[in-house]
Amino acid sequence: MKITALLVLKAAPETTDPVILSNASDVSHFGYFQRSSVKEFVVFVGRTVASRTPPSQRQSVQHEEYKVHAYNRNGLCAVGFMDDHYPVRSAFSLLNQVIDEYQKSFGETWRSAKEDSSQPWPYLADALTKFQDPAEADKLLKIQRELDETKIILHKTIDSVLARGEKLDSLVEKSSDLSMASQMFYKQAKKTNSCCTIL
Amino acid sequence: MGSTFRDRTAEFHSLSQTLKKIGAAIPSVHQAESDPTSSKRSSPPGSSRSEFNKKASQIGLRIHETSQKTARLSKLAKESSIFNDRTLEIQELTVLIRNDITGLNMALSDLQTLQNMEIADGSYSHDKVGHYTAVCDDLKTRLMGATKQFQDVLTARSENMKAHENRKQLFSAKNAAVDNQNNAKAVPEPPPWSSSSTPSGSLQQQPLLPPVNSGAPSGSQLRRRSAIENAPSQQMEMSMLQQTVPRQESYSQNRAVALHSVESTITELSGIFTHLATMVTQQGELAIRIDDNMDESLVNVEGARSALLQHLTRISSNRWLMIKIFAVIILFLIVFLFFVA
Repeated sequence: MKITALLVLKAAPETTDPVILSNASDVSHFGYFQRSSVKEFVVFVGRTVASRTPPSQRQSVQHEEYKVHAYNRNGLCAVGFMDDHYPVRSAFSLLNQVIDEYQKSFGETWRSAKEDSSQPWPYLADALTKFQDPAEADKLLKIQRELDETKIILHKTIDSVLARGEKLDSLVEKSSDLSMASQMFYKQAKKTNSCCTIL
Repeated sequence: MGSTFRDRTAEFHSLSQTLKKIGAAIPSVHQAESDPTSSKRSSPPGSSRSEFNKKASQIGLRIHETSQKTARLSKLAKESSIFNDRTLEIQELTVLIRNDITGLNMALSDLQTLQNMEIADGSYSHDKVGHYTAVCDDLKTRLMGATKQFQDVLTARSENMKAHENRKQLFSAKNAAVDNQNNAKAVPEPPPWSSSSTPSGSLQQQPLLPPVNSGAPSGSQLRRRSAIENAPSQQMEMSMLQQTVPRQESYSQNRAVALHSVESTITELSGIFTHLATMVTQQGELAIRIDDNMDESLVNVEGARSALLQHLTRISSNRWLMIKIFAVIILFLIVFLFFVA
């Protein structure tokens, strides 16, 4: 489950094609010679998908072995390249976060961008590495995962409590035997005590 | 009886003529001559026979019609394609044929009852019975053949429909994949797209075609391929658009489902916690019981210990007393001795 690339584009309907505002890709698992072509491919497919995504809509397109998810919000479009196993929902929540972050950090300056900006945005690169695990991106997934772990722990607790119950049961029996024995002992002692007073 | 029918009608006619002339007894109408195709015979003595024959011929005709209809139905079923399926016609025909076949079945059973009546009459001729049975069997086999044909046609049609469905599904599932492939191939050069980037990418494809063929920065092969594939991809794109809306819905549905599952997990967890609490309280009672038992045994042991200690002290003190008693006895002895001696 990995993310190959994250792009932020400006997809205004008037201009011809989307302008890339930020790009972060992880091509480490490709061979050295394929890396540049993969980057080009990412750029082009990202542009196409962003241009085809209508505003305030989400889209997922299957391309070869990647799923390309795109979310367009009022002209600002975030595109992510993930593999098939990455859950769709966390992908879109990730894109949401990216867009929010971008708007917070850059405000409205992106609207005037006309060319592909090449300055890297560190948040995007961090996001790429951080969100390789889909649970980070999607709170729901995280919650579900933690709940499942808690459930497992609780099951174990219940098992150990049952064992404790059994041990307590045995302890009760033993203590009752002990009290019986001590009673007998007391009676015996009193008996021996009472009879031979003269001697 | 064999299938070689010898038409001896003419001989019979001449014979009857001569006999009439002779004026002898009217020849008994023995159908000794094998004459199965004598539907022409309209004379009264063969009334029941001609009735039988009329019915048989009717049935044969209807069977023939049914088989013709089945042939037409099979042609229709084979011809129908995805975009031009004449379901209505096919269904009408199917219903018609089915009705015909049921009617034919009933008529055939009537025929059989007729035949049985004839046999039960008593005065029958072997040839007549043979003829009846032969005709009935023939009609039955023909009807069976027609029904089998009809069934074959139905199975062929259902297979056809299945194949159509599969093809349709292939198309609708591969829509996104094929479409994006077309997209990727049709975007070698974004700038030539002078038209706006409207959602209907199909509109873009058409102005793409003329300008694409003029400039050629990157492989012209790619362009040619994209030009060829543009036409069929338009349809895919329109259907892909229709898929974005359900994808939107499925996204929110996804979230709703996830929330539900989280909620149910949380309720499960609360159940587990209460279970745990009850178990612990029950075990708390057990612990109290154990505590009481231990206290009791402690008390008993303490009491026993004190009794034993008493015993011990008494024994030891008894010895002290014994010395005292002995001393008193010895004193008495001494006093006795004193008195006696």
